[in-house]
Amino acid sequence: MKLALKLAFKNIYGAGLRTILNVIVLSFSFVIIIFLNGVMDGWNAQAKKDTIEWEYGYGQLRHKDYDPYDPYTILDSHAPIPENRPDLTPILIHQASIYPEGRMMNIVLKGIPADQQTLLLPTSHLNAQEKQYPVIIGKRFAASSKLNVGDEVLLRWRDVNGTYDANTIYISAIFDSNVPTIDDGQIWMNINNLWQMTDQVNEATLLVLNETSTPLESTLWNFTSQKELLSTIEEIIATKKISSSIMYILLLAIALLAIFDTQVLSIFRRQKEIGTYVALGMTRRKVVGLFTVEGSMYSILALFLASLYGTPFFIFIKKIGIPVAEADQEVGLAIAERIFPIYGFSLVIGTVIVVVLASTIVSFLPARKIAKINPVSALKGKIQ
Amino acid sequence: MNSISRIVLLFIFGSSLTLQGQSTSITADEILKKVDANMIADTQIVSSEMIVYGKRKSRTIKSKGYSRGSDKHFTEYLSPEREKGTKMLKLEDRLWIYSPATDRIIQLSGHLLRQSVMGSDLSYEDMMEERKLTDIYTASTLSIEELDNRQTYKMELLAKVEDVSYYKRILWIDTARFVPLKEELYAKSGKLLKKTSLSEVKQIQGRWYPTKINYKDMLKDGQGTDFIVNEIIFNPAIADRLFLKSTLKN
Amino acid sequence: MISFLIKGILRDRSKSLIPIVIISIGVTLTVLTTGYVTGALSDIVDQNAKLDTGHLKVMTKPYAENKDQIPNDLALLGLEELITSLQTQFPDVLWTPRIRFGGILDVPDQNGNTKSQGPGMGLAVNLLNPNSGEGTRLNLDKALVRGRIPQNPGEVVLSEFFAQKLEVDLGKELTFFGSSMEGSMVFYKFILIGTVKFGIPAMDKSAFVIDVTDAQRVLDMQDGSGELLGYLPFEIYDDAKASEIATTFNAQYDKSDDEYAPVMLTLKQQNNLGSTLDYSQTVVSLFIFIFVFAMSIVLWNTGLIGGLRRYKEFGIRLALGESKRKVYRLLLAEASIIGIIGSLIGTSIGLAGTYYLQIVGIDISKYIENSTIIMPSVIRARVTSNLFFIGFIPGLLSMLFGTMLSGRGIFKRDTARLFNELEV
Repeated sequence: MKLALKLAFKNIYGAGLRTILNVIVLSFSFVIIIFLNGVMDGWNAQAKKDTIEWEYGYGQLRHKDYDPYDPYTILDSHAPIPENRPDLTPILIHQASIYPEGRMMNIVLKGIPADQQTLLLPTSHLNAQEKQYPVIIGKRFAASSKLNVGDEVLLRWRDVNGTYDANTIYISAIFDSNVPTIDDGQIWMNINNLWQMTDQVNEATLLVLNETSTPLESTLWNFTSQKELLSTIEEIIATKKISSSIMYILLLAIALLAIFDTQVLSIFRRQKEIGTYVALGMTRRKVVGLFTVEGSMYSILALFLASLYGTPFFIFIKKIGIPVAEADQEVGLAIAERIFPIYGFSLVIGTVIVVVLASTIVSFLPARKIAKINPVSALKGKIQ
Repeated sequence: MNSISRIVLLFIFGSSLTLQGQSTSITADEILKKVDANMIADTQIVSSEMIVYGKRKSRTIKSKGYSRGSDKHFTEYLSPEREKGTKMLKLEDRLWIYSPATDRIIQLSGHLLRQSVMGSDLSYEDMMEERKLTDIYTASTLSIEELDNRQTYKMELLAKVEDVSYYKRILWIDTARFVPLKEELYAKSGKLLKKTSLSEVKQIQGRWYPTKINYKDMLKDGQGTDFIVNEIIFNPAIADRLFLKSTLKN
Repeated sequence: MISFLIKGILRDRSKSLIPIVIISIGVTLTVLTTGYVTGALSDIVDQNAKLDTGHLKVMTKPYAENKDQIPNDLALLGLEELITSLQTQFPDVLWTPRIRFGGILDVPDQNGNTKSQGPGMGLAVNLLNPNSGEGTRLNLDKALVRGRIPQNPGEVVLSEFFAQKLEVDLGKELTFFGSSMEGSMVFYKFILIGTVKFGIPAMDKSAFVIDVTDAQRVLDMQDGSGELLGYLPFEIYDDAKASEIATTFNAQYDKSDDEYAPVMLTLKQQNNLGSTLDYSQTVVSLFIFIFVFAMSIVLWNTGLIGGLRRYKEFGIRLALGESKRKVYRLLLAEASIIGIIGSLIGTSIGLAGTYYLQIVGIDISKYIENSTIIMPSVIRARVTSNLFFIGFIPGLLSMLFGTMLSGRGIFKRDTARLFNELEV
C-alpha cells in the first residue's frame, strides 16, 4: 500500500497541468458544499437567534385562553402577573384601531415594561417623557401604515369594561427586526400606560421567560417551550436544505466527471506502464488499487487546495456575512439582511468523507478494466 | 331596522336622572321625563329604511321592527332582495339572526357583536345596550342653545358605572317638543367619537318624533348612515310569538 | 475537407467517442445545473407569484392603495369583459381571479342551532375550471390532508386544524356568515369536502378555500373580483415581458376619469419582490459562472488530453510531409467539430432534462414530513434562453482552447520526437 501511495503520488504529480485542473475543480466542490451548508446552518441559527431574542425568549407562558393566531381570543385572555417572578417579562395584548388620515386600521397593542431586558425590543424609547403615549413600531408596519418617527396618530381602544377611549399616540422609535411576527400590524407601548388605559393594572396576556427562568406550575398559564416555538423554522430550513443539496450534487458530478475522464484516458495512455507492472509481478488487483488510489489522491490534493483558499474565504464570509434581499416574509420566518454562515465540524468532516469516497469510486470504475488486461498486448500498447 | 328605535330608546329612559346643574328652571330629570313621555311606548312597530353610504354606491335597506319594553326586539328585513326575509331577534343580551336562504339561525355573541351592522356606522353592540341611560349616566343641563332655529337644552351625561361604551354624551333636546335633535358621544379622553343628528320632527299619534337620523363615526371619513322612519305605531298589540326564538324560522 | 474530418472522427472511435461522450455529459450537466439553479433560487419569488402577486396583478386603483386591508368594496367589476379584452390583447397570459375575504364559519347541530363557530379567512380561486391550473399552482392537491379539492359549487376546503377546532367532519355542512362587498349580511351553506395543511400558522388556524364563483355569489360580487392575476406561459416570470404588458395596459387607463379604473402591477412591483428578484438573479449568475468555469476546466482537460494522445499520429503525418501548420489547423478543426457535436448533443439532452424538470419537477415531498402549500414540495428547473448557448462555452470554447494548448507541442518538438512520443 505504501508503494501504491508513493507511486500514485508520483504519477499524478508528474501529470502536472492535468492534475492541477482536476484538483481545482474538485476543490470547488469542497468549498461550495461547505459554503452552501454553512449558509443554511447559519440562516437556521440566525432565524432562531433572532426569534429568541425578539419574540420567544426562553419559552413563553401564555394565558390559557390566548391563541396567537386568533385575534378574537385576545379580549378574554389576561390575568394578574404571578407574584415574585421578576424574571418573567409580562406582555399585555389589546386590540385597538388607528386612524391615519381618516382610514381605520385595526391593530394589536402590546404593552411591555420599558425596562425589560429579555427581548431586544428598544423599549427604553417607551419612557420618552415629553409625550403621553410614546410607542414603538417595526419597520414593516411603519411602511404599511406610512408612519414615521415623530408622527402622531389617533388611537381608539376600549378599556376592559368596553368603554371607548381615544387618544393620540406618538411614534418615538421604529425598530428594525428580522422577525415579522412582532412587527406587522402591531404597536408596542409601555405596559404601565396600557394598564392605565385599559384598566387592567398588573395583568398580562403572556409572560416571556429569560435564561434563568423555571416554568411555572399554573392552571392559568400554559407553558410553551423554546423548542416548540422554534419548530416551524426547523421545518422550513429542512426543505431549503434539500433544494440546495441538489445544487451541489450537480457540482460534485462535474468534478467527478473530470476525475473519471482523466482516469479513462490515463489508463488508455498508460497501457505499457500497466503491462510493465504486471510483467514485473504486481498482481492485477494491486494495479487496480494503484490507479484507484491515484484517482482518490486528487480528492486529497483538492482538500489541501480547498483549505488553502477556502479557509480565508470562509473566515471572510463569516465575518462580513452574505447579503440577503428583502425576501418577502410571507412565511413569517425571520430572514436577516445578512446571513453569517456556520461551518460545523460534522459538516466539514462529512463533506470530506463524501467527496473522498465519491472520487475513489469514480476512480475505481474505469480501473476495473485493468483486471481484464492481457499484459502482453498491454505492453505492446494494443488495447483499445 | 330596529336600530332606529334603539337609538331613540337610548335617549328616553331618563326617569330617574339625578339633577346636577341648576342653570335652567327645568331640571335635567324633568327634561328627560318629558322626552320619555313623548317618545316611549310599551310597544312599537317601526317601518324604516337605512341608507348606508358606501364608497361606490349607497344601499337602502328596508325593515320592519317590533319592540316591547327595552329588552325584546324583533326585526324583519323587507328589501333589497338579498336581505328579504332575514330576521333578527334580540332578547335581553342575546342576539339571533335567521337567514331564509340557508334556513339557519345563528347566534352572535362576544366579539361578533362589535362588528358593523350591514356595513353601517353602527355595531350590533350599539343596538344591544340594555340599561336605561339614567342607570348608567349622571345627567346635568349645561345651557340653552339654539340649534337649527330651535331652542334646545344642552345636556351632559357622564358615566356613573364602569362598563359603558361611551364615557360622556352630550344631548341637545328641543325645549318645546322634548325631542332630542343631536347627540355627541365622547371617549374617556374627551375625544369626540360619534355624532347623531335627528331631524324632520313630525307629529305622530300626538307625539313629536324625529323621522330622520344620521349616525356618523367621527374618526372615519364618509357621510355616515341615515335612518328614515317611514311609519311608526305606538302601543300596538304585538303577538308574543314574535319574540320567540322558535318562531324565527316561520 | 470537413466531411473528411467527420469521417475520421466517426471511424476512429477513440478519437471521437470518448471526447464526444464526455463533452455531451459535461454540457448536459452545465445546462441542467443552470436551469436548476435558476429555478430553485427563484422559489421565494415563485411562491409569492403563486400565492399572492401573480406575474401580473390587476386591481382597481383604490383597492391597490389599501391592498393590505383587502377592501372588497373596491373590487374590480365587469370582470368577464376585462378578462376577454386582456385575453385578446395578451393571448399568452393566463388570467385568473382571486378573492380574499373574511367571515364567520358556523357549524350547526342536528336542530340547526350553532354548535361551534369561528372567524375564518377565505381564499377564493378558480377551482371548478381545470384550465385555470389553480389547484396545482397552489399545491392544493399535495397539501390535502383529507378528502379532495372542490369540484362542485358549494364545496369548501378547510385547514385541517380549523376543521378539527370546529369539530366538523367531511361531508358535513357549514354556514358562512359575513358581509357582502357592500356590507350586507350574507349567509351561505357549504359542504366540507377536504382539509389541507397550509404551512403558515396564521393560515392553518383559520383559512378556507372555495371556488371563485361561490365567492362572487356569497359576497354579492357578480362578475367581480378583488384581484385578477395573470400568469405568463409555463408559469415563468419574465420581467421584461411583464413590464411591457403592464405598461401597455396601464396606458389605456391613463386618462380615465373612472375612480375605479383598473391598474396592473408586475410581480416586481409588489411585496418588495423587486430587490429579491434582482438579488436572486445575481446569485444565479454567480453560481452559473462557477459551474461554467468548473466545467470549462474539465473540458479543457479533455481537449488537452485529446491532443496529447495523438502526438504519435502527428509525428507520422509530419514525417509524411504535411506541414505543421496544416496538422495544427486540422487538429483544431477536428476539435471544433467534436466540440460542436458534443455541445449540440449535450445541449439537447440538457434542455430536454431541464424541460422535464420544469414540467414535472423534483418532488421532495417524501423528504419533508408534511407537504404544505407554502413550502414548495416540488423543485422546478427553468428553461431560459441562455440555456441554448451556455453549454457551448465549456463544450466548444474550452475544448478548443485545451486542444490549442496541447497542439502547440506540434511546433515545439521536432518530428522524430513526436513520432516517438508514445514509444516508451
